[in-house]
Amino acid sequence: MSGPRQMISLGDRLARGMLIALTVMSIVLLVAPSLIVIAISFEPRGYIAFPPSGFSLRWYWALLERQQLLDSILVSLRISVMVMVVCLVLGIPAAFAGTRGRFPAKTAFNAFLLAPQMMPGMVIGIASLFFGAYISFRASDLMLVLSLSVFCLPFVVRIVMARLAGLDPLLDEASANLGAGKFETFFRVTLPQLAPAAFAGAAFTFIEAFDNVTVSLFTSDVRARPLPVELYYLVQFESSPLIAAISSLEIGLSLVVMLVIARAVGLERFGR
Amino acid sequence: MNQLIIDGVTKQFGALKVLQSCDLTVERGSVVTLLGPSGCGKTTLLRSIAGFVTPDAGRIRVKGQDISRLPPNRRDVGYVFQNYALFPHLTCRDNIAYGLVVRRVPKAEIARRVSQALDLIALAAFADRYPKQLSGGQQQRVAIARALVLEPQVLLLDEPFNALDAQLRLSMQVELRKLIDRVGITSIFVTHDQQEAMALSDRVAIMRGGRIEQIGSPLEIYDRPRSCFVADFIGRANLMPTQVRAGRTEGPQAIAAALPDGPATLVARPENIDLTPGSGPGWPGKVTFLTALGPVIEYEVDCGFSVPVRAALPRHAGVETFEPGALVTARIRDEAAAVVLPGEPNHA
Repeated sequence: MSGPRQMISLGDRLARGMLIALTVMSIVLLVAPSLIVIAISFEPRGYIAFPPSGFSLRWYWALLERQQLLDSILVSLRISVMVMVVCLVLGIPAAFAGTRGRFPAKTAFNAFLLAPQMMPGMVIGIASLFFGAYISFRASDLMLVLSLSVFCLPFVVRIVMARLAGLDPLLDEASANLGAGKFETFFRVTLPQLAPAAFAGAAFTFIEAFDNVTVSLFTSDVRARPLPVELYYLVQFESSPLIAAISSLEIGLSLVVMLVIARAVGLERFGR
Repeated sequence: MNQLIIDGVTKQFGALKVLQSCDLTVERGSVVTLLGPSGCGKTTLLRSIAGFVTPDAGRIRVKGQDISRLPPNRRDVGYVFQNYALFPHLTCRDNIAYGLVVRRVPKAEIARRVSQALDLIALAAFADRYPKQLSGGQQQRVAIARALVLEPQVLLLDEPFNALDAQLRLSMQVELRKLIDRVGITSIFVTHDQQEAMALSDRVAIMRGGRIEQIGSPLEIYDRPRSCFVADFIGRANLMPTQVRAGRTEGPQAIAAALPDGPATLVARPENIDLTPGSGPGWPGKVTFLTALGPVIEYEVDCGFSVPVRAALPRHAGVETFEPGALVTARIRDEAAAVVLPGEPNHA
């Protein structure tokens, strides 16, 4: 009687210990570096130091004078929005087919849809570049959008699929019974219920496209570099707190997007 | 006038014959229940009328028009789903308005008809709530109003009380029947609950293995079941083996039987079995068990059949009570029994 009980409580204690370890690790490895970067961005002097020697917004102002950086932010915003649109337009119907469709090799189709997530971004980047060269398609905004879309598509597909699987198929029958055709049912019943998932998928896609280096490094236009690539080059020549200032802004942007998702749909849904 | 005619509807899923040439005629304004154990095809028949299932053969006509080949959204047939299938992203009011909006009914008329429907189900105060903010009974009423607001030719209800608890179920059954009478709509229920079928319907169709086994008013079916299956499915019955000889049963009581000579089963309801002390004309037996239910006492009497004969005797002055072990004679009162062909009783 006491044996199994002790074992259960031992298991419980082990689980609790693991949870604490995991929490500590994520604080040390994820949160702390971000906080340090933010702290460094307020350094008044011309080099990186922690803790910062004072508080100044000098490097944030300096940002505004770096036309090349500002341009790259605009490139990234433009590219990310386009990637987001492409992923939504392709991802929602694909998720539909993958969940509700009845066709041969459906499992293979679904695995194929989600495959880019299993592949390192660098592989997608290099593959896009080589394949592009083969058909004389140069690294450009268009190629960047396409390659990032391949990379990001699984985000939308996965989230929308999870939501679709949770929808009651009887709602479609109810809608048909009340006189609605297939298209009307899609727009009046299915889409409104997918909206939160589509919204979250779009937000993740946006963030991913906005700060992706691995793919962008190979497929972006040299004359119009997106922000992550620009930063990648910048770090090699410059070690001023300017980098920290940009990074802090990016952290802020991600945080805002996450908060918006959390408000709209609840973050825990995307763990699945 | 016949509102709905189902003619030889047949459906097969793979090797499984779900519906085997079902015929059913429903009069205008009447309530019919499809009753049977799970897997008997009752829901498939209902879904065929709505168009969710396409029969392999047979025709379904509503008001003389063949609707067998129409898609679900072109059939003028209301459907209340077992789990109600209310749209979770729409309020109660918008759920009810859905069909009217889809039909491009003018806004003012939609508002008028929806508020009428809300009054009908007494939920006007809840119009702006979402389904998950309503109780099970309220959700059911919204589902019914959503179907009724379109004034369909026929209302189909798939086990509408399944999701409700026992107490609510009873009051909702009465409410729903009153509502149906008030609107005067032809309705078809599906249920596996015989009490629900008796309470709700003008006629009951008992289904078994994809066939309609018997159709009739609840009391007709209760009093004159045509098979052991029906007898056992509706109410409780004593099934006693017997032989038919020249239109009457052999044994202590000769009961008229419209069956050819040969083995048969005598079906008698417990309340039609009378017990008298000692021996006499009838089946002699010994009381083995009794249950005092209040208004009646139920006896189990061993008369030599494989199962004891059950008798329910009212408890009032002049009716004798028996103790276990008492020797009695069982008789069928007023020859109130049906004679059917022997068959496997159902215990679903």
